Amino acid sequence: MSTRKFSIFRYNPNTPEVKPFMQEYTIEEPPGMTIFVALNKIREELDPTLMFDFVCRAAICGSCAMVINGKPRLACKTLTGDLKGTVTLMPLPVFKLIGDLSVDTGTWFRHLSVKTKSWIHSSKEFDPNAIEDRMDNETALEIYEAERCIECGCCIAGCVTANIREDFLGAAGINRVARFMVDPRDERSKKEYFEVIGSDEGAFGCMGLMACDDNCPMQLPLQMQLSFVRRKMVSFGLSAK
Amino acid sequence: MLVQKILTRNPKAELYYDLVELFTGIALVGFLWTHMVFVATILLGSDLFNTLSKSLDDYYLSYVGIPIIVLIFLMHILSAGRRLPTRYQEQKIIWRHAKMLKGTDTWVWVFQTITGAAIFALASIHMFVVLTGWPITATTSAGRIEAFWWFYLVLLLLGEYHAGFGIYRQFVKWGWFPRKPLGYVSKVITVIILTLGLAALWVFLQLGGA
Ligand code: SF4
Ligand code: SF4
Ligand code: FES
Repeated sequence: MSTRKFSIFRYNPNTPEVKPFMQEYTIEEPPGMTIFVALNKIREELDPTLMFDFVCRAAICGSCAMVINGKPRLACKTLTGDLKGTVTLMPLPVFKLIGDLSVDTGTWFRHLSVKTKSWIHSSKEFDPNAIEDRMDNETALEIYEAERCIECGCCIAGCVTANIREDFLGAAGINRVARFMVDPRDERSKKEYFEVIGSDEGAFGCMGLMACDDNCPMQLPLQMQLSFVRRKMVSFGLSAK
Repeated sequence: MLVQKILTRNPKAELYYDLVELFTGIALVGFLWTHMVFVATILLGSDLFNTLSKSLDDYYLSYVGIPIIVLIFLMHILSAGRRLPTRYQEQKIIWRHAKMLKGTDTWVWVFQTITGAAIFALASIHMFVVLTGWPITATTSAGRIEAFWWFYLVLLLLGEYHAGFGIYRQFVKWGWFPRKPLGYVSKVITVIILTLGLAALWVFLQLGGA
């Protein structure tokens, strides 16, 4: 069986006296091996101290994102067979490093939800017995498309702006707002939306470099979502007093 | 929010900056391309070139146009340049980042800032030289090109590159076109203009040598 070499970032914030370094491991490579499988193999056979995250191993939970050979990718969705040579693994930038390949995306996305007020703003009293209002299929699909985001953080890690500016909400944040803007149940005014995302923390912070669009493992239409929100923000900003 | 931020907050500032960047950019591309077409009239003979230059002069178009362009030029620098990373750490992050994400538009942006800065310097020199040698005629232009052809070659390449990708990025940003085919389209445009510019340059050189 062929073997594969891995070069993996090591650093534990609890032992700052040990400077970050790259550690190499070589393991056997069965056909169809994903990075996720490889990491588990390394941990079982070679090094029980290696830290990394996973839950679903099926591109659903978004916790296994890392920088694989220079690109933010899901470990469970990336086959080693598709990569050439030594596989280099780094943790996602921007997020708080827990250790080695493990980062805390949860806190960041929680902040995003709070900041963009990610819930339907409605003045209607909720009646659990009433039949739901109808929504046309097109709108429902648009909302669903945006909702496919698994909060993996690949779009954030790949974004230059997010790497420099801590308060930038990134493509995931702008996509989130787009989801509520198309939702007819959300009663937020133009002005309210503009305040949420019409600044350089949102739509106008984006420099349009589209690393997010290239890196989203769920293939969300991020370019179109970003430009949709940008155009909306211009019209809201110019019309709302 | 902090007091100093509350007092200076202008919620629409970023919106206006973005629009100024967009419109001045488009205006400059329009200018550049018109400029190159005017220059390229030399291909049809120095008489036409001289007539054009003289009529622009006679109808005061040059005297109105040039200051406006200078103004737009400066506004573009201020609005587009606001994002330039000034702190060393930021520059380092961007550099590392661009190297990490091979083959993405991040490089386009890095080059955009570098070419932008270079154009600022070279175009200023170019304007100074042309204005001090007023009016523009085929003979004086040919003389300039002959002496400084490398300077104009560099400026031309930088300008075309910066404009071509600038347009591409604005289209992408505002979502007027989906990304993939558009990259192709803008490259084609760039190649056309480049050919035009190079041809003009070559003719000037011939003229200067004669
Ligand atoms: S397009 Fe905008 S959000 Fe996406 S990576 Fe670039 S700057 Fe970030
Ligand atoms: S938009 Fe895509 S890349 Fe960004 S967090 Fe969601 S799924 Fe991940
Ligand atoms: S482990 Fe859940 S997305 Fe990879």
